Amino acid sequence: MQNPFDVIPAEIYDVVQESPLIRTLRLRPEKPIRFQTGQFMELTLPGIGEAPFTPSTSHFVTDVMDITIMKTGFMTEYVHKAKAGDRVGLRGPFGSCYPLEKFEGKDLLILGGGCGLAPLRSLFLTLLDEVDKYKSITFLAGAKSPKDCVYKEAVPGWKKHPRVTFRRAVDVVPEGETWDEEVGVVTVLLKNLKGNPGDNPAVVCGPPVMMKYGTFDLLKMGYREENIYLSMEKKMYCGHGQCRHCVMGSYYACKDGPVFPYAQIKDEEAIWE
Amino acid sequence: MMIEEKDLLGFFKACIEGKVESYSEIMVPVSQDEFPDRFVFSRFNPESVCVLDRYRTVDPLKILFYMPRETVLPVAPDPPMRVVAGAKACDLKAMQVLDAALTGGDFVDPLYKIWRERTVVIGADCTDAADTCHCTLVGGMPHAESGYDVNLSRIDDRFVLDAGSAKGEAFLNVLQSHAKVQPESESDRKRVRDNRRKMTERVQSRNRELDRSDQYARLREDQDKNWPAASETCIGCGACTNICPTCYCLILNDETKAQQFVKVRGYDSCQWHGYARVAGGASPRPRMFERFRNRYLCKFLFMKSNFNLLGCTGCGRCTEACAGNIDFRKVVKRITDGVEMGVVD
Repeated sequence: MQNPFDVIPAEIYDVVQESPLIRTLRLRPEKPIRFQTGQFMELTLPGIGEAPFTPSTSHFVTDVMDITIMKTGFMTEYVHKAKAGDRVGLRGPFGSCYPLEKFEGKDLLILGGGCGLAPLRSLFLTLLDEVDKYKSITFLAGAKSPKDCVYKEAVPGWKKHPRVTFRRAVDVVPEGETWDEEVGVVTVLLKNLKGNPGDNPAVVCGPPVMMKYGTFDLLKMGYREENIYLSMEKKMYCGHGQCRHCVMGSYYACKDGPVFPYAQIKDEEAIWE
Repeated sequence: MMIEEKDLLGFFKACIEGKVESYSEIMVPVSQDEFPDRFVFSRFNPESVCVLDRYRTVDPLKILFYMPRETVLPVAPDPPMRVVAGAKACDLKAMQVLDAALTGGDFVDPLYKIWRERTVVIGADCTDAADTCHCTLVGGMPHAESGYDVNLSRIDDRFVLDAGSAKGEAFLNVLQSHAKVQPESESDRKRVRDNRRKMTERVQSRNRELDRSDQYARLREDQDKNWPAASETCIGCGACTNICPTCYCLILNDETKAQQFVKVRGYDSCQWHGYARVAGGASPRPRMFERFRNRYLCKFLFMKSNFNLLGCTGCGRCTEACAGNIDFRKVVKRITDGVEMGVVD
């Protein structure tokens, strides 16, 4: 019998400091982990605790896994003290994934903010691995300020990719920092988009307030409720629908989500909190 | 089949003395000297007062299968077979919820499954009712029709025995080979039916005014009108959820010290502020009355949609345990009546 609490040991082989508050742990699990992009893992720090995070690597990569984590609570404080060579544990993968088959042949819009770019990078890299299947990919990314932007090294390559439109916005540019892209909340990037939403899909991930207004703006633009995919951020504590912390009415964010079409959950209570 | 109570207890004594190979541990409801009307599941001891019938124990049956603190990784070797006797209908119904939640879906809680497999559950018809008992309000009765391995129905100082599963049949076979049993007559069966009907009427009559069983869907319609007043004396201690026979929300502590990962499961409570709070501090239910409301919606609506079973089996323990003197039944009445009277916009 499979014990759902069992973990796969993994070694941190590198740590990338993405921004002052965000870092990426690069992990090598003892055995390959297969997942579908959008699914999440439970990361254990031995003796500290466990929390849900989404891999940031393509799902075609199974021998190593990047996980991008913001310092924002008890567990993540310790994540930011971890160093290369440390031993951690992984459980999973859990939950629903992005329905890639529904994206095929479509103009896909990806809208993300802050640390919400972590799961979106996994989606984006997975799409790039089979880029010919998709008509176009537009990736709009937001951050608080230039220094809070993540994946700095990869961005120039993404911008040059012939099938990709990659744009960024920051909320503010503090004195002393330079920025030659858009300024404003990430949804300002939606204003200059060309084309018709039609039956095209959009994927949204970020802080709750950004998800909420991002979704509303997409609806105004003409995106359909069933074509807007949200990655819900709830306390997915056990990962397999046992602990009930992430229950949203009749749904479990961990089992039925974390990826939900907006149409599925729009009538549940407190989805944006 | 019938057995005299003293012979059944004698069989239990033989079990714990190692004279019966099949069962080595016996758990029974025991009353304490200072609280003769309160029963607590304890290891059988011939010296203590064992009360197999009357009404439910203080603690729910779940604590013997889904314990307040258990190491779920690594899992200990299987325990020996045990017998839990004197379980009441409300607790047996609650086990159906736990079975669905913990073994019926995409995953299986390893320890819960083992305890279920390694336990013979002996139910017993209620022959008395606590003030808070209200099984009849939530589709139950003070006697079980399923969910037991063996059931006991008291007639004077004897019990009628019924097997409800293969495990129960096996138990009765072992029992017969160690203790004196006798066949029951049709008049004994009739007395069982009469007792059951009388007990059911007794629980029904004391709860009649509080029956809102056709209106649970309305609980959701009130978002914030009557809930703050209904929860005014709630201090958010979580006693109601910890003592509820169907609550199974857990927290997982990582207690890894060396190479072997160690995880310990404990009870969590949706009444606690940190329950659904995510890193960064956001919570879907920051206010007490919202968490209070969540428990009612979970019992009557969420669990119903998850498992097609109500999360309340009418044991009344939450009412008994409440430090704020809140009666679960009266809250349901107050909210649904409020909705009916159009208090909600």
